[in-house]
Amino acid sequence: MALIELTDVSLTFTVHRHKRVSLKEYLVRGLFRRAGQNTVSVHALSGLNLTIRDGERVGVIGHNGAGKSTLLKLLAGIYPPTVGTRTVAGKICSLFDISLGFEPEATGWDNIAYRAYLQGESPASLKGKIDEIAAFTELGEFLNVAVRHYSAGMMMRLAFAIATAIEPEVLLVDEVLAVGDLSFQQKAQARMTEMMSSARVMVLVAHDLGTIRGMCNRVVWMQHGAVVMDGPTDAVIDAYVASVTGPVHTPHVGAVAAAA
Amino acid sequence: MIQHLAAIWKFRHFLNALVRLDLRLRYRRSILGVGWSLLNPIAMTVVFTVVFAELLGGGNYRTYVPHLIIGMAVWGFLREATIQGCRALIGNESYIRQSPLPYGIYTLRTVLGQAIHSGIALAVAVVVTAAVQGKPDALLAVWLVLPAVALMFMFAWAMATVCAFVNVYFQDAQHLLEIGAQILFFLTPIIYTRDVLDKRPGMSWVADLNPVNLFLDLIRAPLVTGGPPPADLYLAAAALTAAAIGLAVGTTAWLQKKVIFHL
Repeated sequence: MALIELTDVSLTFTVHRHKRVSLKEYLVRGLFRRAGQNTVSVHALSGLNLTIRDGERVGVIGHNGAGKSTLLKLLAGIYPPTVGTRTVAGKICSLFDISLGFEPEATGWDNIAYRAYLQGESPASLKGKIDEIAAFTELGEFLNVAVRHYSAGMMMRLAFAIATAIEPEVLLVDEVLAVGDLSFQQKAQARMTEMMSSARVMVLVAHDLGTIRGMCNRVVWMQHGAVVMDGPTDAVIDAYVASVTGPVHTPHVGAVAAAA
Repeated sequence: MIQHLAAIWKFRHFLNALVRLDLRLRYRRSILGVGWSLLNPIAMTVVFTVVFAELLGGGNYRTYVPHLIIGMAVWGFLREATIQGCRALIGNESYIRQSPLPYGIYTLRTVLGQAIHSGIALAVAVVVTAAVQGKPDALLAVWLVLPAVALMFMFAWAMATVCAFVNVYFQDAQHLLEIGAQILFFLTPIIYTRDVLDKRPGMSWVADLNPVNLFLDLIRAPLVTGGPPPADLYLAAAALTAAAIGLAVGTTAWLQKKVIFHL
């Protein structure tokens, strides 16, 4: 049984202007109390209340910087919420930045193993699935080549094949499908529909509204870190499109406030 | 902490696969391959013996060579585990951003890989010791030192974890540690015997307070002499390891929810 529950969740980033502070800089700054803040508070998510149950396929749409990817990372457990509680029941599988989590010097076969283990598989359980995964990628002989020679599309095929082969209960997808070619996109859609036929949850972030219409039965529209509308696919997408093509709308990142 | 360890156990296949990959990559382009693990300590020992045996070892190579080669193996492990461990979280950033795995697994990846490398060096050292001494005492004494080796491993893992977290916030922690290690190398009786320090007035505390020296006494002394180490040394090592583990657990608990925002 899959269930996602976010209660009053907020997430605030404190972004440092100089990401890596050396000890010398830290001490000197402390000694001379130099004015001028070098941190910026970004309220990525504000007061989110979200409940997702079995069988729901949720699409998340919104302008760039609305907090969609952050929401997904929060659901995956990568970012802990600053305020509020997050409950996710069920086995999670996430498809984020597809170039991440590969060992560039290892072959395609080895990377299948690493990613599968990362998702909690064991060598025994992988043995039965590895041929099927390899067949789904359609990479053939390329699986013997080191992954650093792969194109983005090839890596995405590999990542997607592994992610969907292990039957997650909660699938989180972040704008990765756009990279694949048309035939793969159709395959991916078919695979995801097949997975959705059993009672599971999917949360998909995409800018391609056609993909969202095709795959999701519920859409959440986010703006500046908060949920603006949450309901059936067509209603929300139509409202979103109307708001974008209507009067001029300038999106900006989250709700940025310089720390005092 | 039990939860953390259970989570690491759950992902043991992932850890295992990556440690094997690291070892394979380490010797990927070298002709000798893993042979370097064997050749390196021997080469270093030969050089040091030829140059320093007279000056630092009392001129007797039969006692100096075992003292040196086992000392180098132990030192090598502790030094590399902490210094390479500094990069554990930064280097595994891509995995951290994908999946919420327990952070201990990344430091364990480094320390385990280094332990295998140093384990080979130590095995070579034991064999060389037995050969040079002309008696098999060193080989038999291996069982006596296994508990100390286990304690040393846990100590190294704990220190690597602390260093990894600190290094995310201050990148020069690794460089400072390298300088510190260089200084500590010369303050520890590795290339010389302990009485060099004891002879100088007021210097013996340097060896007494040195954690590396504690492990050297627990591992090197039994292998060289063939007899068991005193029990109070074991207690001291256990206390030291417990303190290090406590520090690591505290650091992890404090920083694990924050470090993702600094990577």
